[in-house]
Amino acid sequence: MNDMRILERDVDANAIKIAAKGVQVYYGDTHAIKDVDVDIQDKTVTAFIGPSGCGKSTFLRCLNRMNDTIDVARVEGDIRIDGEDIYDKAVDPVQLRAKVGMVFQKPNPFPKSIFDNVAYGPRIHGLAKNKSDLDDIVERALRRAAIWNEVKDRLAAPGTGLSGGQQQRLCIARAVATEPEVLLMDEPCSALDPIATAQVEELIDELRQNYSVVIVTHSMQQAARVSQKTAFFHLGNLVEYGETGQIFTNPEDPRTESYITGRIG
Amino acid sequence: MTDATTPSSVPAMTPLSGKGSLLVQDARTRKRNAAEKRFKAYGVVAISIGMLMLIILVFNIISRGTGAFQQTFVTLEVPLLAEKLDKKGNRDPNDLRKVSTFGYAPLLRTAFEDKIAQNGIETELSPKAMAGILSAGAPAQLRDFVLADPSMIGTTQQFEFLASSRVDGYLKGRVSRDSIANDKNISAEQLDFVDKLIEGGSIEKRFNLAFIIGADSSDARPEAAGMGVSMIGSFFMMLVVLALALPIGVAASIYLEEFAPKNWLTDIIEVNISNLAAVPSIVFGILGLAVFINYMHLPTSAPLVGGLVLTLMTLPTIIISTRASLKAVPPSIRDAALGVGASKMQSVFHHVLPLAAPGILTGTIIGLAQALGETAPLLLIGMVGFIASNPPDSIASGLLDPNSAMPAQIYEWAKRADPAFYERAWGGIIILLVFLITMNTIAVILRRRFERRW
Repeated sequence: MNDMRILERDVDANAIKIAAKGVQVYYGDTHAIKDVDVDIQDKTVTAFIGPSGCGKSTFLRCLNRMNDTIDVARVEGDIRIDGEDIYDKAVDPVQLRAKVGMVFQKPNPFPKSIFDNVAYGPRIHGLAKNKSDLDDIVERALRRAAIWNEVKDRLAAPGTGLSGGQQQRLCIARAVATEPEVLLMDEPCSALDPIATAQVEELIDELRQNYSVVIVTHSMQQAARVSQKTAFFHLGNLVEYGETGQIFTNPEDPRTESYITGRIG
Repeated sequence: MTDATTPSSVPAMTPLSGKGSLLVQDARTRKRNAAEKRFKAYGVVAISIGMLMLIILVFNIISRGTGAFQQTFVTLEVPLLAEKLDKKGNRDPNDLRKVSTFGYAPLLRTAFEDKIAQNGIETELSPKAMAGILSAGAPAQLRDFVLADPSMIGTTQQFEFLASSRVDGYLKGRVSRDSIANDKNISAEQLDFVDKLIEGGSIEKRFNLAFIIGADSSDARPEAAGMGVSMIGSFFMMLVVLALALPIGVAASIYLEEFAPKNWLTDIIEVNISNLAAVPSIVFGILGLAVFINYMHLPTSAPLVGGLVLTLMTLPTIIISTRASLKAVPPSIRDAALGVGASKMQSVFHHVLPLAAPGILTGTIIGLAQALGETAPLLLIGMVGFIASNPPDSIASGLLDPNSAMPAQIYEWAKRADPAFYERAWGGIIILLVFLITMNTIAVILRRRFERRW
């Protein structure tokens, strides 16, 4: 990729949104995440890269407690969002997930209409007072996800009838419709073609204005293109975490260098 | 490697070294293809055997059972003589009621005497023997008519009586002069008489609605037996099964599949549910006898008890099929719902359950169909061998009054001695199969409709 562009990218010193300290995750007997410390900044795109099975998705799912749905998963350590421990007993994961939205690897629209897909979150969280309010929320979310023009004439059509790239953008619209503060994206482009990928990446860059975005990706080019901060995971360890430009041009750890030059992973 | 770099030097048809020509099958390929062909042949043979059996079964059922839907009727003009029915002449219903069915039998004899006089039939039969070709229920039919409308006394009315089962069998080809050699119920002379009446148009065979909607009858009158009341019994049982098994089964499966922790306890429950599905139904019957009748003192032979027993039997089927269809809902849908902040219950009820509904519905209908055809447990709670002569007049009596069920009724007929009942058993099987096929068709249609939604 364009190395100059990466180097010149300015990184704002934003406030810390998510602070993770000493996070350990076990799947049964497997120690999937080993003592990870990471600070994720607000209004920043943070990329998690690393070879398959290195724990980056697992760690991402810790941030909105999606690992709770897996019976054998056990999370230890301290993850704070705005200084609040999200694994505190008083925290309801449902409330947390309204604050920390998620976009999944495979586009997974509900088998309902496009409108209902986006309106579902606002409905269950009571964000809309009336029908026209809801219409506004849906339109805003679809516009933000850069899919409004493509679907505005067929909001009643099933979301599952869209193309893969459109579905993924619909899922992003669904995630932003609930007005989260953090958006987690688990390989959002792995099922998309380059054109749809480019659209989603553009979208991620725009979302940075309002949200803290954490993206897991297998594509190092993508990480380089969209993120300001990059974390490299390997075998459950956070090997290196820093500004994207630095990670890709001048990594400190030899493992990072091996990975980004294609020798491991 | 040199070959690969200079492909143009190799003539097109020359076999590549080592692999042979593609146009000739080698020994391994031939062997593999032969094995595949053999396997396909086994499959075709297996399916053919299955289809053949099915055709034989269907042919048998239809050829033996359709007779039950037709019945022989005798048309007679019966003078309702006042001197026999109302000796006091005051038309008082209470006095009329004192005349038993025996009092009506002479009227039938008179009617036959009139008949032979009118039609010029010569016979040596006594009037009593002539009346013997009628069903034993004929005097009762007369009496019911008169009691319903006493003003008819003194007039001559035309009636259609059921012919006795032997005469009916004669018209259907089941009874012949040879077969009745040792039969005390009918004589060759009576059959001659029947032949003459057929010529005169007084006896004919036609569709018999009473078989479908009527009640069962005693051993002596197979011609009057019908499925109707046991059908109502089955209906009430299905009502109980549906009302209990569907909510309990679906609730249990949703809890087990979506909410319950996966530990040794739920593992044991899961294994036991699968085992329960394989428990012989008679075991559920004896359980029902012990618990519902002996311990809880619910009425014997009642569709309520039958329904409870069948609920126990159907629950595992519904739970297993519901869990399977819940499992089939892609986890990504659950993730998606949880990801936008839905609670577990919201994700299940808003997204998972609607997607699983076709499967749940199909499982439920299949379970119901299974319960509808179940006989063994009903034997133990007394729904067999009982003759319900009247349809229930209310929902409570439908649930609590003794009744039978369709398969139990079929079993009951099949074990009675008279071959006329045997024919009705086959006819009953046709009705039962029509119900089962209808239910399964509904299941398929519902599934299709729900699936087509997106």
